[in-house]
Amino acid sequence: MPLVVTRVAILACMGAATFLCGTSHAADRRGRPSPAPASADSEWRMPAKDFAGTRFSALTDITPQKAPSLHPVWTFSTGVLGGHEGQPLVVDGVMYVVTPWPNVLYAFDLSKEGYPLKWKYRPDVSPNAIGVSCCDTVNRGAFYADGKLFYNLLDGHTVAVDAATGRELWNTPIADVGSGETVTMAPLVVKDRVIVGASGGEFGIYGWVKGLDANTGKVVWTARNIGPDADMLIRQDTFKPPYDHGVDLGAKSWADNTWKTGGAPVWGGVSYDPKLDLIYYGTGNPSPYNPEQRVGDNKWTGSVLARRPADGALVWAYQFTPHDNWDYDATGAMILANLSIGGKDTEVLVHFDKNGFAYTLDRATGRLISAEAFANVTWAKSVDLTTGRPVLDPDKQTGVSKGNVKGICPSLEGGVSPASPAAFSPRTHLFYTSTNNLCMDYAAARTGYIKGTPFIGANSPYFAGPGGNLGAFIAWDAVTGKKVWENKEEFPSWSGALVTAGDVVFYGTLDGWFKSADAKTGKVLSKFKVGSGVVGNPITYRGPDGRQYVAVYAGIGGDWALLSGDVRADDPADMRPPADFMKNIGRHTSQGGMIWIFAL
Amino acid sequence: MSRLIAFLSCLAVVSCSRQVAPAPSPDTHLPAVRYEAHVVAGTVAPSGVELTNPHNADPAVAKKGALLFTAMNCDGCHGGDASGWVGPSLSDRRWRYGGADSEVFNSIYFGRPKGMPAFGGTVGVDGVWTLVTYIRSLPVPPTVPTESWLEP
Repeated sequence: MPLVVTRVAILACMGAATFLCGTSHAADRRGRPSPAPASADSEWRMPAKDFAGTRFSALTDITPQKAPSLHPVWTFSTGVLGGHEGQPLVVDGVMYVVTPWPNVLYAFDLSKEGYPLKWKYRPDVSPNAIGVSCCDTVNRGAFYADGKLFYNLLDGHTVAVDAATGRELWNTPIADVGSGETVTMAPLVVKDRVIVGASGGEFGIYGWVKGLDANTGKVVWTARNIGPDADMLIRQDTFKPPYDHGVDLGAKSWADNTWKTGGAPVWGGVSYDPKLDLIYYGTGNPSPYNPEQRVGDNKWTGSVLARRPADGALVWAYQFTPHDNWDYDATGAMILANLSIGGKDTEVLVHFDKNGFAYTLDRATGRLISAEAFANVTWAKSVDLTTGRPVLDPDKQTGVSKGNVKGICPSLEGGVSPASPAAFSPRTHLFYTSTNNLCMDYAAARTGYIKGTPFIGANSPYFAGPGGNLGAFIAWDAVTGKKVWENKEEFPSWSGALVTAGDVVFYGTLDGWFKSADAKTGKVLSKFKVGSGVVGNPITYRGPDGRQYVAVYAGIGGDWALLSGDVRADDPADMRPPADFMKNIGRHTSQGGMIWIFAL
Repeated sequence: MSRLIAFLSCLAVVSCSRQVAPAPSPDTHLPAVRYEAHVVAGTVAPSGVELTNPHNADPAVAKKGALLFTAMNCDGCHGGDASGWVGPSLSDRRWRYGGADSEVFNSIYFGRPKGMPAFGGTVGVDGVWTLVTYIRSLPVPPTVPTESWLEP
């Protein structure tokens, strides 16, 4: 690798007059690149690149013409197995990487050959959290702000670390592992608030988000996602949901006070609109999976919530899947974009839901503009734009009294996994996302709540949807509600998306290919087999040497179907049910976390 | 607490009847269970007790244990039939913390550090033995060390 890096440095310096160094970040002297000045376009400071959650970079060095020469220039083993979701950050010539449990934070000096560590922060994270995380010990990344890195530990702590020295600034307990809460999401930091939430939709948690003081770590506010108005930080004069009215909807829409163990975890990304001063995040499934144990709409599970970051006050909420029967979490990315709707420039929020519909909402009010299926959907026929509610197929409703309900699409893994965030290009006006083509049968069972143990109550084996391919990577037009192109994949597609102003889109596959494609046509421009399946999100940045790089994690995992369990005596490739729908994945990949960096 | 006391007194009785591998000098603060599969430093194994499952292999108790296994949400991690899911299989005779009756009892009663909850307080000594009896009754899958993708 050092040889390759040397070649990279030489090329960068030789190219002083070429496009590579034609920018303000050019190397100034032979052999000694100048430090690149920090700019939003050359760095990647927050999980989804910007507050809007677009995962769009303005860098243009990598074009469809040049992308075929992309090749790896550096790799590093994180020393950790398990699903490597999330993404690195790059700030001021340093790359920051958070691993799955035990949640090590690495700081790599990108200005030196071989990118040696500046420091390594290794917090004490209780292994008890491993057994309380439903589906592997993932972490979805850190957030950089004001010289600090903020991230969550699996055992329910948020930490702030000094970016220059790696010293811990504060460490705040936020979640209770004993109640089934773990923390896997990446925080969002805005206006001196660190916004965090907990996983635990399989453990009957009483789901919440919290706003911490970014300087001290003190918890300033806690807002429940379900339950009475007072707990949800709802004030009747300022809470304006577009399709509902009344008090205590988060409690009254649950029979027999079942909201108390109703789930509504937060494990996806948070986005922010500075003009409206609203944060947006999605809530996960209601607990348990057997819907007959929680009669009612179960608000506000499977929903998008818009809150004020300063005090947490809820401004509006919209429920994608009322009375969820299928474990359709709405924790996927909420992407803020400006789209031309009916010829009018409109500020929207676009969300690809596990339930298979892509939603476009007015992000000031939460009112629905459109909802079209991006995956094969059988549980509902459409979404009624006047009521905001799905038009259900009565034959696909689940519950103990319904027995084993067959042929539900998407499966509970989702039309897309919420762990696989989409990207939006303001140049092509298209969204880019991984998708799964999976269906399931769903046999609900009665289950009892026991604190600290799984509260599930359903068996739901998967199988391939129409076409036989288990996944695809697609370009989506949210104005017309139509797929523009699709790259079919043999296996479910589980990586996040990255799109650049060079009109190149990047994604990885479960069988371990990292690909670039033409953002306009989908034509695959390059592919390289990284060491393990990709469930992470690619990023791009300009290095201290002035060149554009693309980085991504390899490391399959993040779900019980993704090689993250134990290996059974009679199953060397660990493809027992419910992972037996893709038995062949064991032929192509195995666990192991690596960071990969690519360049032209 | 009363269950813990009951458990400790049960241990005391058992330790009188089934003391194994006496240590060179008797220690009144013995650990409850000695782990048979552990490497012994030197040549002398530490003394410890071996607990006896009062239900032995009673199929009626195993049946009750199957119901308890579901009722306590054990299947939420270890899968239906305890064949493994996010938690390890309990039927394949591969054990992280030992597979002797005493060791399985301890794993369920006190929990284990990678997230196995302590169920002893909730189900009591007899409940744990009922679960052990169920786990012991499970059919053991064959050991298949090779998976091949070669064309037949």
